Amino acid sequence: MNTPKIQVCGVRKCFNSKVVLDNVSLDVMPGESMVIIGLSGTGKSVLMKCMLGLLKPDEGQILVDGEDWCTLPEREQLERMRRIGMVFQGSAMFDSLPVWENVAFALLRQGISKKEARKRASHVLEMVGLPGTEDVMPAELSGGMTKRAGFARAICHKPEMVFYDEPLAGLDPIMSDAITQLMLRLHKEFQVTSFTIAHNMTLARRFGDRIAMLMDGKIHRILSPNELDSCQDPAVRQFVEGRADGPIHVLEG
Amino acid sequence: MKFLQSIGCLLEAAFMHSGAYASTLLKVVRSMASPPWYPKLFLQQAEEVGVQSLPVVLLTALFTGMVLALQSYVGFHRFGAESMVATVVSLSMLRELGPVLVGLMVAGRVGASFAAELGTMRVSEQIDALWTLSTDPFRYLIMPRFFAVVLMMPLLVALADAIGMFGGYIISVSFLDQTPAVYIENSTTFLKLNDLYSGLIKAAVFGGIIGIVSCSEGFNCSGGAQGVGRATTRAVVVSAMSILVFDYILTAWMFR
Repeated sequence: MNTPKIQVCGVRKCFNSKVVLDNVSLDVMPGESMVIIGLSGTGKSVLMKCMLGLLKPDEGQILVDGEDWCTLPEREQLERMRRIGMVFQGSAMFDSLPVWENVAFALLRQGISKKEARKRASHVLEMVGLPGTEDVMPAELSGGMTKRAGFARAICHKPEMVFYDEPLAGLDPIMSDAITQLMLRLHKEFQVTSFTIAHNMTLARRFGDRIAMLMDGKIHRILSPNELDSCQDPAVRQFVEGRADGPIHVLEG
Repeated sequence: MKFLQSIGCLLEAAFMHSGAYASTLLKVVRSMASPPWYPKLFLQQAEEVGVQSLPVVLLTALFTGMVLALQSYVGFHRFGAESMVATVVSLSMLRELGPVLVGLMVAGRVGASFAAELGTMRVSEQIDALWTLSTDPFRYLIMPRFFAVVLMMPLLVALADAIGMFGGYIISVSFLDQTPAVYIENSTTFLKLNDLYSGLIKAAVFGGIIGIVSCSEGFNCSGGAQGVGRATTRAVVVSAMSILVFDYILTAWMFR
């Protein structure tokens, strides 16, 4: 039996008096694709930020390969970030740098020569369908192209784990399908462990090996894509079917 | 009751921001000891703070020197001491007007730019992205900006002092019937090296204030576009007010 790549153990996070994450526990196995679904504001992004070391949990541990990353000194946490790739919802490309420097950012910080870093960036840009955009500034790219450049940046340094924060947000259906295919291809080719926040149920079904539903700061259910459709849990059904009526009240003040 | 509550809120906000500035300063001091220092980014920022600020700073200094010459001439003419115009212009520029005016100009131009740029990076998750790319955002973004503004401010003030004195010279020689030789002699005779140093020390301190306040406001910004706007306004207002307060403190300390 494999040991989990990522273990979230009893994580609790509050902002002022509001409990956002309440005793959240979750395992992600090596090479697995875990998708987190749930209403906006239920703590999905906070959970991901805790896993990335951007927020410190008030209680609990986040273990990667058995090592608690939350208690490491800042310098060592940064060192460990080389094993991670992150695709941000809004891409978060650095406006002041051309596309290739954005993509090769982690490589350049690791002291790899500019020539070699550019070569690797060009290769990854070609993989994501953006050949010849090396010297373009991020502001000149369309939404879909920026998203793909964000993917290229996340995988250029060959991470072991890739985190996606709503990768299809703001994309048209055709671009959404292209990005989903790209994610599947990258997941397979790089054999990474993936952790995705998704509102798009098609993406959750196609990309997730397991799908966890977060509700009121707690893990409500963890299901396989097949179980997602057969699950009779009213909250899961309401979310999957996208209905306003049901046990989850969205219009309460 | 509401009045007391709003005073309480104001005080809480003031302490919270002061705490953030102090913590930024402390982190800057701690980060100085170990690499990486990003010299290339420092040079980029130095160019942005120093070279790009030259037009606005030099124009301000030139016209301040010219106005100062005209105004002090009016006063001195009343008791026949017109020759002292040169001394007043040079002393005022070196000890007070140079550092304060350049400080205020740089706070407006550079401070606003630091806060807006870092604030935008914060709300668009670019700062989080730096972290995930194993780069310490504090070192990468704040350290080069802080040192650029601290080191460039004295250079800008030295140039502004010279241009301000030149402005006074033009007015005095062209319109106030003073001879160039006498003006230059009076400009320098009563000056001490201390007058120059004190202005440059003030400039470096004002640079530090601008760097800490603006970077801290931008880096810790939240609340989308409105938050960036608020952080930028606060950066400029707090920097400008702090420059005036510290100017008094430094003057009282150096000239007691």
